[in-house]
Amino acid sequence: MLKRSTQPKRLWRSAPLKPAYDAVVIGGGLHGLAAAYFLASRHGMQDVAVIEKRYIGYGGAGRNTAIVRANQRTSENVPLYKEALDMWPRLTRELDFNLMFYNCGNLNLAHSEAALKAMRLQTATAQFHGVDSRLLTPAECKALIPALDITDRPKYPIFGGMFHPPGGIVRHDAVVWGLAKGASARGVHIHQDTAVTGIEVQRGKVAAVQTSRGRIATPRVLNAAGAYAAALADHLLDIRLPISVLTIQAMVTQPLKPLLDHVISSGGYHIYANQTLKGEIATGAHMDRWPNYTTGTSAYYIKHQAEALTDLLPCLQGVKFMRTWAGLADMTPDMAPIMSGNDPVQGYYQDCGWGYFGFKSCAAAGKYMAQYMTTGTCPEILAPFDPGRFAAHRLMGETAALVNYSADN
Amino acid sequence: MERLKHLPTLRIAARQPITLRFNGRTLAGCAGDTVATLLYGSGERIFGRSLKYHRPRGLYSLDGECSNAMMTIDGMPNLNAELTPAREGMRVEPQNVMGSLKWDLLGGLDHLAFAMPAGFFYKTLHKPSWLWPRAVKGIRRAAGLGVLHPEARFDQRCDAIYPNVDVCVVGGGPAGLSAALAAAEEGLRVALLEARPRLGGFCDYRVRADAQGKPLHQWAAALADQVRARDNIRVFTDAPVVGAYPDGRVAAFQRGGPEDAFDLRYIEITAAGAVVATGCIERPLLFAHNDRPGVMQMGCAHRLLHTYGIRPAADAVFSVAHDLGLEAAIDLHDQGVTVHCVADARTDGQDPLLIAALEQRGIPLRRGWVAHTAHGRSRLRAVTLGTPAGTFRQRIACELLVASAGLTPLTGLVTMAGGQVKYDPRTGFFLPVRLPPNMQACGRLRGLHDPAALAADGTLAGLRAAEGLGCRPQRKIAAAEAALAAAPGAPRGSKWLAAPGKGAKTFICFDEDGTLKHLHQAMAQGFDVPELIKRFTAIGTGPGQGGIPGHNLPLLVAAGQASPASDPMPTTVRPPLVAAPIAAYAGGRHDMAKRTPMHDAQVAAGGRMERVGEWFRARRFGTDPGAAAEIMAVRTNVGLLDASTLGKFRVFGPDALKALQRVYVGDMARTRPFRTTYAAMCNEDGCVIDDGVVIRTGDNDFYITTSTGRAAQTVEWFRYHTRYDGWDYHIVNLTDAHGVINIAGPNARKVLEAMTADDVANTAFPFAACRDLTLAGGIPARAMRLGFVGELSYELHVPASCMETAWRMAEAAGAPFGIAPFGLEAQNTLRMEKGHVILGSESEQRTVLHDLGLGFLWCRTKPEAKTVGALALRDTADQPGRLKLVGFKMETPGDGPPRDGSPVVNGRIRGYVCTARHSHALGEPVGMALVEEELARGGTRLGIYEDGCGGRLRYGTVAPMPFYDPEGTRMRI
Amino acid sequence: MALNLNCPICGPRSGYEFRFGGEDKGPRPAEEGATTALWLAYAHLNRNVAGVQREWWCHKDGCGTWFRVCRDTVTNCEVPTVDTL
Repeated sequence: MLKRSTQPKRLWRSAPLKPAYDAVVIGGGLHGLAAAYFLASRHGMQDVAVIEKRYIGYGGAGRNTAIVRANQRTSENVPLYKEALDMWPRLTRELDFNLMFYNCGNLNLAHSEAALKAMRLQTATAQFHGVDSRLLTPAECKALIPALDITDRPKYPIFGGMFHPPGGIVRHDAVVWGLAKGASARGVHIHQDTAVTGIEVQRGKVAAVQTSRGRIATPRVLNAAGAYAAALADHLLDIRLPISVLTIQAMVTQPLKPLLDHVISSGGYHIYANQTLKGEIATGAHMDRWPNYTTGTSAYYIKHQAEALTDLLPCLQGVKFMRTWAGLADMTPDMAPIMSGNDPVQGYYQDCGWGYFGFKSCAAAGKYMAQYMTTGTCPEILAPFDPGRFAAHRLMGETAALVNYSADN
Repeated sequence: MERLKHLPTLRIAARQPITLRFNGRTLAGCAGDTVATLLYGSGERIFGRSLKYHRPRGLYSLDGECSNAMMTIDGMPNLNAELTPAREGMRVEPQNVMGSLKWDLLGGLDHLAFAMPAGFFYKTLHKPSWLWPRAVKGIRRAAGLGVLHPEARFDQRCDAIYPNVDVCVVGGGPAGLSAALAAAEEGLRVALLEARPRLGGFCDYRVRADAQGKPLHQWAAALADQVRARDNIRVFTDAPVVGAYPDGRVAAFQRGGPEDAFDLRYIEITAAGAVVATGCIERPLLFAHNDRPGVMQMGCAHRLLHTYGIRPAADAVFSVAHDLGLEAAIDLHDQGVTVHCVADARTDGQDPLLIAALEQRGIPLRRGWVAHTAHGRSRLRAVTLGTPAGTFRQRIACELLVASAGLTPLTGLVTMAGGQVKYDPRTGFFLPVRLPPNMQACGRLRGLHDPAALAADGTLAGLRAAEGLGCRPQRKIAAAEAALAAAPGAPRGSKWLAAPGKGAKTFICFDEDGTLKHLHQAMAQGFDVPELIKRFTAIGTGPGQGGIPGHNLPLLVAAGQASPASDPMPTTVRPPLVAAPIAAYAGGRHDMAKRTPMHDAQVAAGGRMERVGEWFRARRFGTDPGAAAEIMAVRTNVGLLDASTLGKFRVFGPDALKALQRVYVGDMARTRPFRTTYAAMCNEDGCVIDDGVVIRTGDNDFYITTSTGRAAQTVEWFRYHTRYDGWDYHIVNLTDAHGVINIAGPNARKVLEAMTADDVANTAFPFAACRDLTLAGGIPARAMRLGFVGELSYELHVPASCMETAWRMAEAAGAPFGIAPFGLEAQNTLRMEKGHVILGSESEQRTVLHDLGLGFLWCRTKPEAKTVGALALRDTADQPGRLKLVGFKMETPGDGPPRDGSPVVNGRIRGYVCTARHSHALGEPVGMALVEEELARGGTRLGIYEDGCGGRLRYGTVAPMPFYDPEGTRMRI
Repeated sequence: MALNLNCPICGPRSGYEFRFGGEDKGPRPAEEGATTALWLAYAHLNRNVAGVQREWWCHKDGCGTWFRVCRDTVTNCEVPTVDTL
């Protein structure tokens, strides 16, 4: 370990843009890179290109707060997220890149009896699927996070909590770079500063992708453009999706010695907080409720975040916010993603609508989307995520509450 | 240490001594000191240890630009001593130290630095796989700076203000002061924000004379006096700005003194125009061991001397690249510091007057020379200066090295608000090239330096801001433009970056111990954008907010890039510009909640109040979680519920019926005068979003109720869904105007009879009717007979102002029966026994009206109404495979009801329990569940998987609803 | 993120006082003969334009009016009404 370091090599190669690839992935974020990596590593696809408009990890991949967990609400979602969660240590080994999975567990707080009931469903669903999750009393919550105020003083007193030990945090940038490194080592070409300008369809099949650097002939393309996926689908293929793109802001405090040993979150306050390995408290959560493509921050948001944070964790009052930023979340009406393929265009696949859950799931989504793109058949685990559910009036149930980012709800 | 006492620029009160405890010792300073200057003045040189390598660090700047001076003060960690005023009796402790500041046990980490290249953690500690989970614990302990106790409380007084002004000027230096004056003279309301305790900016501590021969500090003080004299300029000092936003808002926080009513306050200014005059900070000089205690910025040395009366050292060497450095050298010399040598990275361009002054004092000036290495460990012992390539070198013993590569403008507010900056090769600055609408930039921020130029530029910016707001100061603008043109322009800046070499100990970022070598390693691995390098190396992500590496990093990246043609790209500056305590953002009290008129009375009666949306409501009275006594009172006697939070609306006008037909799924044309009609609203998905009653009270006049949770959105909802129609109707929210008392139970009529002279017999006032009654004392009450809890029940809507009188009247009338209030928990069980749903409890986002068995509420024969949700209801009316609401009883009733939310399992999860309670009326547990349609038939066995059951299911059986009084006779008596 | 809107009744106000009401998709489709596809498009599908779009807003913390504005989703600034949308 302590050998003198020599000049390091590039983590991923830069390669010339070829006129044809077996598969083109739009978007150098986590889902795109993961799909490319699995196409190359599991399915032996030799010629895969990742097309990224800015630089890899520019979007949600580098802006999320890196929380991972598998205690989703429905049976359709839990297995996918469970598999994704189990993959972090394996991926670390496989990519030979430390993704810094810190398995600290997640504590979710309930501030009403209704919230406790919702947690009971979530907890029991997790347990039924073999995912460790348990309900805690307020005192047990305080034992895990001594900084919590469990008195009646806060605006929303704590009624209980749901603890999910297998969850934690992962270093998000490491996942981007690790996947890029792994993909590149297996022959994937990563083209940064390259914009997709068109998708050519011939006789109902994908024929080529037009980019700012030239045409690429390809039989299959994956739209993994994150927040831009919906606009891209509309613009290039006239496919409209039930997606709204919203801003979500996050912030970190100055670094402290260990204070929060677990990720905590609260639906009542619309807040989560976790302490990064560097000691900063990363926090954020609620969304600005109108669609847009800016990643600007606002005075309103940081103030409201401060009010909530100091109510829940009063010792943080004297701690300082150091940096705030924003990312975009592509929200669907039922807060579950859209993964589909070959509809309405053969060879066109899409993996989007992840909202703010895209980080936790990227490894599993990439793995199965790669399988889908190779075989042309939808893996069973992805079947529930077809957008046909919206037309069929079968929302997924991943959220119980009416989401009100549109007045339609 | 004795302070200099007779300098005209001193900002301390030497006669008011202050003592504080540092590291267990008592140190003395005086009023006006910051903790940092007090420590430095007392001879302290090591202020802390660095994050990664535990290198000793000292005073480097005075404006909190790095974490060197972060300390734990009175138990609060991470306070920057440079920004914290010293107060009597403070307890100050250094951070990140194992052992003592001088002999840190982890100081040896510095020698292992070679083994921790850029991206170290990404490439190590993950093999073998058991290593990382163990290592992570140690990493967490080593990381972070201060220790915060989980029960620590912040005892400062916090406040928030939201001033509205015409022009907000940020920066109280000469340019900002001039801008504020110019805008104020146009009659505008101006706010001026200054981060430091005093106005004057970089002139406040300078004794150099301006062109008229007046010392700069006097000139600046005169400007400040003019500003303070104006009634229409509101001055906020000690108020660093944290953000400027594209919506015209400027956020700052202000530190208050003992005479203020606050210790910290959040200031959010809404301004029609803004002037940014934030000036410059210094660009750190890069050389080996540039972080040693004893190396400091030119402004730091200069201000220590002139503002605080502290001679920073007995002897010093300067390695600078700006005239301010020459000026500082002259001033230090004049106050008795031996200046061995001034190295200036610039080969020419110095102010001839300064060169002459150096010569006159016998201070050698080495043009084109720079510092290469600082020697010494816990204290500076010597410096090696040399030509850039190191061809000629000289080692000079000294105690202090004043080091600076020049200035860098603070353009963060400009970019944050949506403006753009671009690298300017002449000044070497990132200068604003595109400003956001209604924003002006002026002063040193634009590269200017000369006092006359700053004043003219500031005046011009203030006038232009005024012009943008409709003023017409054309002649003044022309004059200011002429003055600016006549004044010296932006001086050329130094391009000096760093001496050649690996730079293993050349620190670009003090906070994160990021070196030049780390930067090169990152670039070699393909990280060629400053933003990515920040993430990979952590350079610039520390508590100094990028103040130290902010300018050098993009320059170094550009210099290291393969294609040198490209301009340096600035890193993104993110708010807050200055680290701001969370309490400062949070301000004072911020919890807002509504209380019904009966809040206090219910608390007095033992009510456990809980938040329900924006309201407080009583969950239960007393400690019984099941509220059995309250339930039995309603079933067998009479109870009283405060239902004031129900949404209440009047909808009227020629098109009122059309509006109701649009949002209610039922046929509202069939409503009859003074009859209650139970009605539901769905969203476009057919999901029930609200239910309540609709009463026709006149021609085109309706009174409707909604659930508590939807009340706030109802008006918006009506108007949204009729937005294209141009209908003539009004909807008025009466929720807060009316209180609601629900009197329920077999004895309810007897209670009501005692409250009113009106006929309330079953014949005159039957079930489902609505009557306008007059209660004793003339209180008007709109009464309805409803059956939510399944007993004889009256809902009295009374004016909120009469609510308490009516409530007391009901209590008195019910006293013979022992009437008592009941809460939401009792109501929950009572309605559940009746099979009545509560939306959100028995329904969720994916539940449509049909799934709840409420499909009969939908009228499918009014397509012309274009009812919200009708299309989805049509599609789902007979759709198979949906979750359906069923009632169930338990196979082993003695084990009690299953917990709410428990999944229903049959091989896989096929539904869940919505509500289950022990039914006192039936003597057994009953519940409601949403289950897949195949399980919904009567008699079907339901496996219930409770959390923690370990796979051992409990079983229930689908049973018909309602459980209690299925014929509904009791509510009709 | 920062946004100001011009309420037709109350003038320029902070975006946080308003509720977004969706892309302007035109009047409700007639119920008679409406297909599921038409319902889906009206209820859920969005164009997600990166650029100027016309949309509905409600001044929920003010006068309560619903009104239409054109806004550039890339800059988050209200722009003068564009007829061609």
